[in-house]
Amino acid sequence: MDTMMQYAWLVPLFPLIAFAIILSFGRQLKEGAAYISILFTGASLLLSLLTFWERFKDGAQDYVFSMTWLKVGDYVIPAGFEINQLNAMMLVIVTTVSLLVQIYSRGYMHGDSRFPVFYQYLALFTFAMLGLVISPNLLQVYIFWELVGACSFLLVGYYFFKPQAKAAAKKAFIVTRIGDVGLFIAICLLFWQTGSFAFEDIFTAVENGKVEPAIITLSAILIFVGAAGKSGQFPLHTWLPDAMEGPTPVSALIHAATMVAAGVYLVAASFPLFIASPEALNVVAYVGGFTAIFAATIGITQRDIKRVLAYSTVSQLGFMMMALGVAGAAGYVAGTFHLMTHAFFKALLFLAAGSVIHAVHTQDVFQMGGLSKRMPITSFVFLIGCLAIAGVPPFSGFWSKEEILAAIFSQGRFDLLIIAMLAAFCTAFYMFRLYYLTFKGEATTEATKKAHESPSTMTLPMLILAVLAIIAGFINLPNNPILGNWLMSGTVGQYIMERYTEEAGHGGVWLQVTAVVISLLGIGLAYLMYGKKSVSSDIISEQVPWLYRLSYRKYYIDEIYDVVFVRSFRGLGHLLSLFDRYVVGGIGFLVGWTARAIGGVNSRLQTGQLQMFGLVVLMGLVILVVSLTTLGGVPYGQ
Amino acid sequence: MDNSFLLSLITFSPLLAILILLLVPKSQITIIKQLGILGTILPLILATMLFVSFDYHQIGMQFYEHASWIQIPLSLMADNQTYYLNIDYEMGVDGISMPLVFMTSIIATLAAVASWNIKKRTKEYFILFHLLLIGMFGVFTAQNLLLFFLFFELTLVPMYFLIGIWGYVDREKAANRFLIYNGIGSAIMLLGFIAMLFVSSLVSPEPTISIWRLVEALTTPGNAFVTNVPESFKFGLFMAFVIAFGIKLPIFPFHSWMLKVHVQAPPAIVMIHSGILLKMGAYGLLRMGIGFFPDVAQKMAVGMAILGLINILYGATLAFVQRDLKMVLAYSSISHMGVILLGFAAMNLFGFQGAMFQVISHGFISALMFFLIGVIWERTGTSQIDELGGLAKSMPFVSGVFLAGGMASLGLPGMSGFISEFFAFLGLFGSHPVLAAIGALGLIVTAVYVLRAIMAATFGPTPTKYQQLADAQPMEVIPIVVLLGFIILIGIYPAMLSNPLQETLKTLVIQVTGIGG
Repeated sequence: MDTMMQYAWLVPLFPLIAFAIILSFGRQLKEGAAYISILFTGASLLLSLLTFWERFKDGAQDYVFSMTWLKVGDYVIPAGFEINQLNAMMLVIVTTVSLLVQIYSRGYMHGDSRFPVFYQYLALFTFAMLGLVISPNLLQVYIFWELVGACSFLLVGYYFFKPQAKAAAKKAFIVTRIGDVGLFIAICLLFWQTGSFAFEDIFTAVENGKVEPAIITLSAILIFVGAAGKSGQFPLHTWLPDAMEGPTPVSALIHAATMVAAGVYLVAASFPLFIASPEALNVVAYVGGFTAIFAATIGITQRDIKRVLAYSTVSQLGFMMMALGVAGAAGYVAGTFHLMTHAFFKALLFLAAGSVIHAVHTQDVFQMGGLSKRMPITSFVFLIGCLAIAGVPPFSGFWSKEEILAAIFSQGRFDLLIIAMLAAFCTAFYMFRLYYLTFKGEATTEATKKAHESPSTMTLPMLILAVLAIIAGFINLPNNPILGNWLMSGTVGQYIMERYTEEAGHGGVWLQVTAVVISLLGIGLAYLMYGKKSVSSDIISEQVPWLYRLSYRKYYIDEIYDVVFVRSFRGLGHLLSLFDRYVVGGIGFLVGWTARAIGGVNSRLQTGQLQMFGLVVLMGLVILVVSLTTLGGVPYGQ
Repeated sequence: MDNSFLLSLITFSPLLAILILLLVPKSQITIIKQLGILGTILPLILATMLFVSFDYHQIGMQFYEHASWIQIPLSLMADNQTYYLNIDYEMGVDGISMPLVFMTSIIATLAAVASWNIKKRTKEYFILFHLLLIGMFGVFTAQNLLLFFLFFELTLVPMYFLIGIWGYVDREKAANRFLIYNGIGSAIMLLGFIAMLFVSSLVSPEPTISIWRLVEALTTPGNAFVTNVPESFKFGLFMAFVIAFGIKLPIFPFHSWMLKVHVQAPPAIVMIHSGILLKMGAYGLLRMGIGFFPDVAQKMAVGMAILGLINILYGATLAFVQRDLKMVLAYSSISHMGVILLGFAAMNLFGFQGAMFQVISHGFISALMFFLIGVIWERTGTSQIDELGGLAKSMPFVSGVFLAGGMASLGLPGMSGFISEFFAFLGLFGSHPVLAAIGALGLIVTAVYVLRAIMAATFGPTPTKYQQLADAQPMEVIPIVVLLGFIILIGIYPAMLSNPLQETLKTLVIQVTGIGG
């Protein structure tokens, strides 16, 4: 069978080649490195589109390729790739955003002294992310999972000389690693239950009841722990806002559109395992729901444009998790659908924010203002992004968010529905707060007054993303869910359909209307406070200062972690250090002292030491020979 | 070429360098250094031949050499016949020892290159260096207990001087501590060997101290060894080997000597020490501890796993609070040796494979890291974390590789450290999932201490005094690239290592699970 899908392995390979070229010739290429990386990523995008189209058009079987990577006894540990509905879609998302971000970065990073290194990392990240997406088994997922984490680490710490960047990079790596260990344990547990790492085998084993129910729940929750680490879910969310220390294109690519969505992707990719355990699904749903509202309430008070977007990302990822957690076919589709629309509009918002930062050299929104006149394109696309994320029809975010609400509603989860609506209100509010503070009103600083629009290498990718942020929702309209039907036609879709026989119900028009009203309320309040300024924006901070501080200081989570984990661990370290020096080392000293006392040598380096040592050896040999000649030959076998 | 003497050739090939070095006048420092490096090329070539021609489908010893050596008449035989104890000259490698020989030859060459900075008594240094080399090769190829013991001791004496003469300020204390601990370890090992011989002559008309014969005797059901030797005696012997090799590995609480060695010995010697010598402990534990007494080992698996957990977590926690990069790496070694114990404790193929991968992987990683610390020390005169910082600006290559080495050490996939940790843990999850889950916490702590130490040295603002430091020189690039190359190669293509290991480890697993289970 000749199919485009059998060449899908080339999709991640192209960026890897780009990486290798830039690694070898970065110094000679200088800023030309960008073109190498863009060229190869462009090839990946093309191939992804072809692959996607073939998968979409034919609704063909999943394509799985597998070869032996390693043999351990009778176990064969394979390496390969798989193309199914979900990851064919992911390939397109990742390559599209990556390509656009790389084009954008050509302008944004212009003049940076480590320009080729930046592209080298970007290319490596793109390779790893694509590799993750097409992995057919959990071990391979884990390998690329760690690699994207490492690339994220490198890029967050790209400005290595900045202490904040250093701290943020370290934090990103360690906090996500906590989650990774969960995934690691889950993989090991599942392996001993099913004898395989492959998704397919694990699903079959679960389906056939070969896996103990307790292990299903435990491993599903552990996989979710890994997903929570990557996708910034509470309580492992703290690294993501700090990761904004990386260059802004990185925030757009890694910390908005692709890598942070990997957690959501992983839950979706191993969905048959999750739906076998209602407990695990509940954990996903409630952690997601809590994260959605929790991060949204932080987002409303932050002053740093990128941090607002970061908390927004955390919150939106919570939305996706919540959708997957309530499950049913509707939840699955809504979660992955929102993953796609979010990738486009959030990447757009970050790139636009980068364009602003590039122009005014600050990230504090209170030092901006009035930029819509000076940066019309940026302002325009940012508005589109805001409308999309706030859920205003017909922008893409409206369709996917409405889908999530409908999924929650159809499963009768009214507690989560209220949470989701509250979070949606906050989202609309803080996004338009951001919009009005940045682009409307009067310029507050000199830099803002002198700001001018970014070059076309930066505006073009933004415009393309803006188009996507508008139209991406049309692929899954309530009365014509093309994406949903297509996703359900796949292998994972079949598992879901089997378990959830009821028709994925929609909440009806009233739910859509409610969703829109909530968004408009949020936007309206932001307008009154920051646009028209008829309502004092300080009303909360003056009336209930502790509440404001709680939100502004991010519920003091970082401080709590610092005391509970970091300091106590360091304390333990120092304590053990004393133990090691005085107790364990003391024994050593005692041994040494005894040896010296017996041997009668001092601590200077002398042959005496060695003589004594030789004596021991010699004595041993004597014992050996004596024992042989006297004891040896005692009647055996008696 | 006839391979029948290959192992002897490898083992004694450093003698050639020693002989030549003896003829060169002391003052010809450059020539001595060049000869010192060249001398390691010969074993490297021979060991590469060994690696290439090793048949990994074959079970048991390969390249076996055998010659009569010592015969001791045994007098008091019951049937009045004269029997002899034959202590033969026996060499051989199997899937466990062959990769170790190969790794030893590589690290030896690179350590010789790293010795370029040795500033005094160069001639003696390189002679001792090559003597050490003979000892190391011998330990991994010797196939009887006496020979093993002699080679084992042969590593101690040159090490003692290499630390004590060419080390840093507190070198003599370190050398003494080294000798005392290892001396005790050797004494216990020797007692164990004697007891083995004693037992052997009790139960068999042809007593032997040939390692593979002993393994055969001890693991064949119905053999006099198996039926006649009381459990408690086997247990005692097993424990003796655990302690003897545990000091070398080191197992908590026997580790204080190796901290001093890591800090005080010259970088090239620490490369060898941490890269190879510690692995002799792991090798001995596997070959004699588990190899001789698989049934006892199986029963002691939980204990071994707990020792491994202590090593992992204790070492990692202490590595986190150290101020000296060398101490961080020393404690890191303790922590990583815990992974080997965990792999052993799994008592299955995955675990053993993980442990052996860790032996090799940690050899390359720690050699790389100590080499880099040497490079940094040459330029900054310090390895104190507080005094370093921002090196990535002036030394991007060295800093980049330092970070890569750190990533390998914390088990980033694509590098050798991942393969070893993954299999060791996977194995342990199969037999003791709760203990394995506790050990997995070590993965987090490892990331914490590795990043703390490395980023403190290379990230952050660059102090003025470090603005103009030179990046790696060609002479330094070679070892860096070779070591990192192997780390990545094993990480991506682990089959190069797992293929030769397979048959030997399979046999071991059968022995471990077959008897007394």
